[in-house]
Order: sequence, then structure tokens, then C-alpha cells
Amino acid sequence: MKRSWRGVILLCIVLFLNIICTQKAVNAYYFEHYRSVIMYALFNILLFPAAYLIYRRERDVR
Amino acid sequence: MDKDQDQEVQCAECVKQKHIQNLQQKQQRKNDQIPFEENNYTHNIRKGDERLLDRRAFMKTMVGAAGVFAVSTLPWGALAVKGLAGGGHQDDPPLRITDIADLPVGEAAKFAYPGKHDSALLIRLSENEYKAYQNACTHLKCPVFWSKEKDELVCPCHHGAFDARTGKPTAGPPQRPLPEVLLRQEGGAVYATGVKHYET
Ligand code: FES
Repeated sequence: MKRSWRGVILLCIVLFLNIICTQKAVNAYYFEHYRSVIMYALFNILLFPAAYLIYRRERDVR
Repeated sequence: MDKDQDQEVQCAECVKQKHIQNLQQKQQRKNDQIPFEENNYTHNIRKGDERLLDRRAFMKTMVGAAGVFAVSTLPWGALAVKGLAGGGHQDDPPLRITDIADLPVGEAAKFAYPGKHDSALLIRLSENEYKAYQNACTHLKCPVFWSKEKDELVCPCHHGAFDARTGKPTAGPPQRPLPEVLLRQEGGAVYATGVKHYET
């Protein structure tokens, strides 16, 4: 059975970006770069619907 | 009349018999049968658990994790907004740390600045050289102490070390320098006058 692993790979990338953004946001906060903290936090939040959309599209692909 | 009655009784008897026979046959047929409709003998393989970690479940987990990350950055974002709204840094009132006479060269004194929970260290590096840092480790906030022998600030938690002259991390996990406390000498005492903010 041949499977599509695209969804899995894409979601792995999303999660990786999540980790990076969280780390960067926390660091930026301590460096008092509040604007970048907000950017990273926003990006992190936007990644969630993106992940959900990827899941929806790839769920039923065999 | 008598004969008729007899026949009827007999008939009732045979109906009963037939019924019993029928029942027995039914029972037998039931017992002979395989108890399941299917005949490929896979009913004892539980597929439920197998699906717990298939591709779709894995993707679901990933989406859930993305959600957790999204939520976990929210408080940082909120704090940042608060920091932005608070505008610049308001000046902290000066605080008298210690008398110079009470602090021999190479020793350190503990104090708290600007809040009473922001513990800090004042180090007398030489006759006339003082440095003070907030001593919560920039890794995971363990209290850093001054080691005279090693001539640096040492964090006991994960063996982090900071240069006492600049506050920069020299070893271990910390990445940010310790926040420096600005000092002023006046009338034989050392005062803290503010916290230096990162320039980068
Ligand atoms: S908390 Fe100081 S090195 Fe980890």
C-alpha cells in the first residue's frame, strides 16, 4: 500500500516552526524587544489554523 | 365419542412431541454453527488499538501540539503588549546598598533592587571597582553567587558562569548577560540607581 506522507511532513515542519517561534518569543521578551515578541506570538497562533487546514486536506488522502 | 376423545388426547401428545423435537433440532443447529457470521477467523484481532498510532492519529497529535504552542505564547504576547504600553522605563528610586567599610575587596553583598524580590549582588572587584547584577540566572532563574576563587559569578543549577566585569555568560547554558545594576558612590556608601537595559 502506497501512502501519502505529505501531511505528516508538513505538520512536522509546522511544529518545528512552532518550537522556534516560542523560543524566539521568550528570548526576545527578556531582551525587551516587545515588538518581535508580538510578531512571534502572532505567527505561532496563525500556525495552529494552518496545521488544522493541513490536517483537513491530508486526512483522507490514502 | 370415546374414541374421538382418545384421538384428541393422542394428537395433543404428538403435537407436544413434535414441538420438543423441533426445539431439539433448533438447538442442535445452533450448536453446530460457527458463532460468527464471518468465516475468516479475524474477529479476535483488535483493530482499535492499532488505529491509535496510525498516520491520521499522528497528524491529529501534531495539530494538538501546534495548538498548545499557540496558546503557550499568548501570555508572552500579553506581557509584551503590557511592556509596550508601559512605555519607556520609569526610573527606579535609588537604594542604599551598603557602606564601603563593610565590604572588603573581593567580597559580595546581597541586596534586592528594584523590587524587593529582584535579588541582586554587589561585588567589590578591587579597591575602587564595584559591579552589581541582578543575580537570577538568565537560564532558568537560579540564584547566581559570587565565587571569589573562580573570580566569576557561578550558577549552581547547571554550572553556568558569568564574567563579573561585564555580566556576560562565559560557560554553561545561559545566553543572555545578567542585567547590570547601575551604581553610585556617595558619602562612604554604595547606592543602586537603576537597572541597565539590554542594548542589543
Ligand atoms: S539556571 Fe543557571 S545555569 Fe541553568
